[in-house]
Amino acid sequence: MTDTVRDHAPSPTPTVVELSERYPEPEAKPSYWRSRTRSILKHVALIAFGLVMLYPLLWMVASSFKPDALIFRDTGLIPTEFTWSNYSDGWNALLHPFSHYLINSSIIVFGSLVGNLVSCSMAAYAFARLEFRGRNLWFAIMLMSIMLPIHVIIVPQYILFSELNWINTFLPLIVPKLLATDAFFIFLMVQFFRGIPRELDEAARLDGCGHFRIYFRIMLPLSLPALATTAIFTFIWTWNDFFSQLIFLTRPDMYTVPVALRTFIDATSESSWGSLFAMSIVSLIPIFLVFLFGQKYLVKGIATTGIK
Amino acid sequence: MSVVSELSQVRKKGGKRKPSALHKGDGKAAIFFLGPWFIGLVLITAGPMVASAYLSFTDYSLLEAPNWIGLENYTRMFEDPRLINALKVTFMYVLISVPLQLAAALALALVLDRGLRGLAIYRSVYYLPSLLGGSVAIALLWRQVFGADGLVNAVLAWFGVEGQGWVSHPDYALGTLMILNIWTFGAPMIIFLAGLRQIPQMYYEAASIDGASKWRQFRSVTIPLLTPIIFFNLVLQLINAFQTFTQAYVVSGGTGGPADSTMFYTLYLYQKGFASLDMGYASAMAWLLLAIVAGMTAVNFLVSKYWVFYND
Amino acid sequence: MTSSIRFAGRAGLAWRTSAVLGAGVLALAACNGDSGAAPADDEPTSEGSSSAAADNGDTGNVEIRFSWWGSDDRHTLTQEVIDLFEEKNPGITVVPDYTDWGGYWDKLATTVAGGDTPDVMTQEERYLTDYANRGVVADLAELGLDTSMVDESVLTSGTIDGKLAGVATGINAYTIVADPQMFEDAGVEMPDDETWTWDDFKQISQEISDALGDGMYGVQDYGGNEAGFNIYARQHGESLYAEDGTLGYSDATLESWWQDLVDLRESGAMPDGSRSVEIAEGGPEQSLLGTNSGAMGFWWTNQLSAISSAAGRDLVLLRPPGESEFDRTGLYYKPAMFYSVSATTEHPEESAKFVDFLINDPEAGALILSDRGLNANTEVRESVSAQLDPLEQQAAEFLADVADEIVDGPPAPPNGAADVPEITGRINEQVLFDTLSAADAAAQFTSEANAAIGQ
Repeated sequence: MTDTVRDHAPSPTPTVVELSERYPEPEAKPSYWRSRTRSILKHVALIAFGLVMLYPLLWMVASSFKPDALIFRDTGLIPTEFTWSNYSDGWNALLHPFSHYLINSSIIVFGSLVGNLVSCSMAAYAFARLEFRGRNLWFAIMLMSIMLPIHVIIVPQYILFSELNWINTFLPLIVPKLLATDAFFIFLMVQFFRGIPRELDEAARLDGCGHFRIYFRIMLPLSLPALATTAIFTFIWTWNDFFSQLIFLTRPDMYTVPVALRTFIDATSESSWGSLFAMSIVSLIPIFLVFLFGQKYLVKGIATTGIK
Repeated sequence: MSVVSELSQVRKKGGKRKPSALHKGDGKAAIFFLGPWFIGLVLITAGPMVASAYLSFTDYSLLEAPNWIGLENYTRMFEDPRLINALKVTFMYVLISVPLQLAAALALALVLDRGLRGLAIYRSVYYLPSLLGGSVAIALLWRQVFGADGLVNAVLAWFGVEGQGWVSHPDYALGTLMILNIWTFGAPMIIFLAGLRQIPQMYYEAASIDGASKWRQFRSVTIPLLTPIIFFNLVLQLINAFQTFTQAYVVSGGTGGPADSTMFYTLYLYQKGFASLDMGYASAMAWLLLAIVAGMTAVNFLVSKYWVFYND
Repeated sequence: MTSSIRFAGRAGLAWRTSAVLGAGVLALAACNGDSGAAPADDEPTSEGSSSAAADNGDTGNVEIRFSWWGSDDRHTLTQEVIDLFEEKNPGITVVPDYTDWGGYWDKLATTVAGGDTPDVMTQEERYLTDYANRGVVADLAELGLDTSMVDESVLTSGTIDGKLAGVATGINAYTIVADPQMFEDAGVEMPDDETWTWDDFKQISQEISDALGDGMYGVQDYGGNEAGFNIYARQHGESLYAEDGTLGYSDATLESWWQDLVDLRESGAMPDGSRSVEIAEGGPEQSLLGTNSGAMGFWWTNQLSAISSAAGRDLVLLRPPGESEFDRTGLYYKPAMFYSVSATTEHPEESAKFVDFLINDPEAGALILSDRGLNANTEVRESVSAQLDPLEQQAAEFLADVADEIVDGPPAPPNGAADVPEITGRINEQVLFDTLSAADAAAQFTSEANAAIGQ
């Protein structure tokens, strides 16, 4: 692809383009009906494909309204017998009402959100824009830190947090995020920051702008999609993270949603599948809403804010 | 094609133009910006990593203090047929499902970028499978779709084909997990979407003033400017796919079955560490994995010089 | 000196130090603080329950942690038992710590590694030896636990190297569950389970499959559970594990056990490979019996209720085939789970008191009923029998009926036996898909099992 860039003979570069805030019209309007038909066909294809994507959720919703005994015998999408009891039972089946676990999860998600947004973007700024000794080495070390499976890290981590007296608190789940241990997001933001034309911040530098101002006033606003991506992923992944929450939280009053969900089922005894499905749906609602409303920030990039 | 040449100019300049005056004081700023990360690295990340490296030379059972056994865990690995099988399974999975998943993600990101009504709904619906994460419901669902009496076989039956239990057959189980991975293309799709919006509109405008066709614009503007994001997704999906655990764990009920056909490397490592209480061996396996993944990532970075285009 | 208690051993100090090397400063600072078992007062939120008072308080209140696995019914029920115990023993607080079977073992091993072993834990046969031999669990006899009302053969199974590492929560037996309705539908008579042979079993299964047609089977695959083979081996005067911690069977016996399974599958009495794997992963709810598509299956007696409720029918328990065919009977009582006490607990007395309450108190027994197997304490078992539901009563009666026929209990599995269920399952899958013949499967099982138990 870069070949195309390279192969073309240089021609006079365009002068500074007055930036418009609007998109160009997608097509030069060849014919109203033709584009109309095309758009309808597109929607039909997207909806058909959407059904494939939606099927699991529909199936889960359907199952959550079936009596336990029917979940495995009546696997269709429309329940032959309909019951609300999975929701009322599931909500109250554990030692605490389910809202308790939702609140615990929310606390951890909130802490992680703040942590990842602030500390990862700061580190990313350094890697993307600053010149300092050993930058590539530090970058490699950062990437290596996500290449070891959690299963061999968790025991030393447990011992460490236990020494700090942090077991059964939310600290082992939040503090690492405040300290930018999630290299995924650092790398993500590095890639976005590098997509921002360097002329912008260099001009700001020449005007005497400090790094913090550049980071805060130029880089962050211009990478709103990256921040939105980070926020959405942090929310969803923390919300669903089972293993570390299981290990670090030992008291039922500290349990979170994924840990609580797991206590409905057990490979060795009778499981409450109906309650599991019902509470899974309940716990999906917050992340679905976050996604639905968060995704509009994904598309507020330079393209819409413009560079002034 | 002036926009194209402008890009190439920027690109050429980017390499050389680094006035050192502009980078005075960067070191100090770096200390500030990297501060939290560095503290986290030293306090939280490095210790456990060093500990696991140490443990890989011991017979650590989790229940007792570890004893130093030198390279024994590492030499054992080369004689372990199940480990070699796990490597094969993992490599197959990575090599097939990662490119397909990324292709699906990119294609849908392009479709769902702009110019249609109801994009928010489509995006959310397409992301839904990824929301389910490692939910145990996935296991039931997958059996319901790919089981002997599942949805797939019901569809095949319309065409008079008699299917079989895909998810529980050693020849096909891995394939169903690949489909599961491709089906959860939501995360890379989102990143592509965000990346598309990061492309400065001026390039498109300049290109369309120059009379470039849509296809031309796509090839000469969209793709080059999206390469950092494509690269990011490729690197991260590779790192993640090599560590695939949850989906295989959930769908096979933790066994990696049938007959080890979905025994991913990390699943085997987990079994060794926690079920067989052989954390020393598991740690050694983890470091072998790190070596493989780091090697592939390094190659990725080297190759990226030839195809990834940075705007700086 | 609290820190030395938290370490699994002094030799561990060196590497633990390396684990916290990076965190040196912080860790040192933390060491000054109290590092008791319950850092409850550090909670960053005000969510902490008020009952969770710190154990270093002034009231002499003692806090012990009890961990178990299960699903929500067991969690609720166990909390009731804990409440009752706390009411009867003021000054002792029991903190629950529970999750599902899979997560339980990950968490338990990790907390042991971190020196935070729960004061009282639930154990299972396959792991008890590993934990006992590594000094994680205390000798309950030494703690003065009253086990006078527990069956001798049940006690032996928790005795490792002469120490009572765990006391059985209750007992179980692995046997045939059958659906009389299916027999009736197929026009096949229910067998006399005191005399039926393995050949009878195979024949009956096939007759049912043939009579009921497509999608209906005589029996569900049972090759993935080594308990079934143990019964078979015992019938032949052998056993899966010998007293001395080695394997105690001949390959020929194992081969013929797996050959039966091959025959069943080839005759159509049992589902094919992929269907069998799928069903096995689905647990009681998706079993052949649970979905009314099979007449028989091997299950643990305490699963009778779960399968019956999935099936929506009353199922019955039968003795396994071959009990009178060979040298002796093979059926045995298996401790459903064990209660163990941590060897490093700061409160051994209170922990033992709690275990005593769990197994010996009739009121506790009346709450637990048969949730953790039929109560191992025979006195409690009798006192609660009237409260069991009809299916649980059937299981209890079955276990009582076979009491005279059971020759002995199998010895506790050796170190490393935790791997054997996984090996059994995996090799059985290879048999199911014909990648291993019964003979090859037997040979491979023996070699892998020997490697696992360090022989």
